[in-house]
Parts: sequence; structure tokens; C-alpha cells
Amino acid sequence: MPAKEFASSATGSSDNTVIGPSILISGKLTGDEDLTIRGRVEGEVSLTRTLIVEPSGIVKANVSVKNAIISGVVVGNIAATESVELTQEGRMVGDIRSPRVIIVDGASFRGQIDMGDATPRAEGATPRPALVRATVRPGVSKPAMISKPAAPLPPRAVTATRVEGTRPAPPPPPAPPVLAEAGKKKVLVKKKK
Amino acid sequence: MANTIIGSSIVIDGEISGDEDLVIQGTVKGKISLKESLFVEGSGVVEADIETQNVEIAGRVTGNIAASDRVELKTECRVVGDIRAPRILIADGASFKGNVDMDVKER
Repeated sequence: MPAKEFASSATGSSDNTVIGPSILISGKLTGDEDLTIRGRVEGEVSLTRTLIVEPSGIVKANVSVKNAIISGVVVGNIAATESVELTQEGRMVGDIRSPRVIIVDGASFRGQIDMGDATPRAEGATPRPALVRATVRPGVSKPAMISKPAAPLPPRAVTATRVEGTRPAPPPPPAPPVLAEAGKKKVLVKKKK
Repeated sequence: MANTIIGSSIVIDGEISGDEDLVIQGTVKGKISLKESLFVEGSGVVEADIETQNVEIAGRVTGNIAASDRVELKTECRVVGDIRAPRILIADGASFKGNVDMDVKER
């Protein structure tokens, strides 16, 4: 699988950090290089580059990175400036905030996703509560706790393919049609920007 | 080759424990306890108490070191703290300040 290949090839260079399978780190981890986790990390992780959680890796931490590729277990929130990818083996509970989120078939996820709006990291945009359960495997996914009616998810939220080098132009932000009709009663703040 | 590498731009503030070799090229503050070997490379900075089997230090370490087998201070290392281990090697050029205790009970 591509994530694994990338990780192992990257391990060859010496300026790469690997947390081995028997290692437990609890505390705060910061850095400016790629980090591969095969062991366990608890606390806080902040990187300016890519976090790779391999299938044996367990992360119980709030993560802020540029890219995250999750093939292991993550419990906690991830804020990525670029992308978050949950691979086939990835399991995650927590919220994701990232302009690009890729969840492939077989991945398991429970939490909220916020891709911002059309422009990356548009802070004024109303957060879109969206529940994504890309799990297709029966019996693995647990019923969602979130009872809030999730806004209809645009198709880009769940992409079964790995994103190629060129980023597809993000579709325009979906206008919330349901709310718009009930707009007489509900106070729908439309921010003109 | 060791499995775990803390790269040169990484800073860890907390506790590291494990059963495998650990190479530190970056910065670790807190506590390290391993059942195998710890290598602090030239670029590595450790401000932590260390408990391992073997330690090889080429970088900077501030903190107490307790090794069940051996501690080696290499040329150009700078170590401040107490060392307790049955075997301690200090190479020419190493800088060290602290107590040495080799009188560890025989295993």
C-alpha cells in the first residue's frame, strides 16, 4: 500500500523520526520533520510536516500537523493544514479539521470533520457538522452517537481514491437548502464576505 | 539498526519508555527508561534522567544516568549528572561533570 511504501522508503534517510513498536512516549512531541509512529504516543503531537501512524501505531493525542496518514489507531483530534488520510487499516475516534480529508474503504472513523469552506481555513464559515462513517465492513462500526442531523455530505468528503498529485478544484460550498427554506424562523446568519 | 529514531528537529517533552534501542538526534526532556540501548548522537540533546541497559553518548546529556550494563561517553560528548553503571567508559575528549558509581551489585 502506498502509505507503507512511503514510510519505509523515508525511513532510509537519517533525518526521519521513527517511534518503534515497543516505545511509549507520553508528553509533548514537536518537530519539523516527518514522524512515523509504530509504537504508542500519548499527549500532544505537533509537526510542521507529515505524521504517519503505521498499523501497529497507537496515538492518543491531540495532533496538529501538515499531513497525516493514519493506518493505525488515533484517538484524539487532528488539525492538519493540508490533508488527513485514513487508510484501509486506519481507525480513528475524534474530530478532523483539514481542508482535505481522505477516507478510504475499510477505514473506521467516528467524529466530526471540518474541511472549512471552499478556501482552505476559512474561519468565518459556519462549521458543517458532518458525520462520516466510511466503514463498509459490517460489524466494525459502532452506531454513531451524534444525533444532530448531519448536513448532506458532499461527495468529496469520502473519496475512495488516493489523491493524485494535482488537487482537484474543490467544488463550491454547498448551500444549505434545508435551512434556507426554513430561514423565516431560524436565524440563519449568512455572512457576506 | 535501532528501530526508534528521534530526528534532529524533534523535541519531546515527557516520558519515553520501551523495550528497544533508541537513537536520539533531537531533543528529549523528561525521562527515558528503556530495556535496551540508548544512543545520543552528536546532535542529540537530552535533559532527562535515563534508565537503560546501555548508553552511548556523543551529544549532550544533563541528568542522571543509571545503566544496568554500560555507559560510554564518547569524544565530544558533554555530560552533566551522576552515572551509575557496572561499566563506564570515558573516551579522550569527553567532557563530564558528576559522580561515577561503578559499585553496582553484580548481576
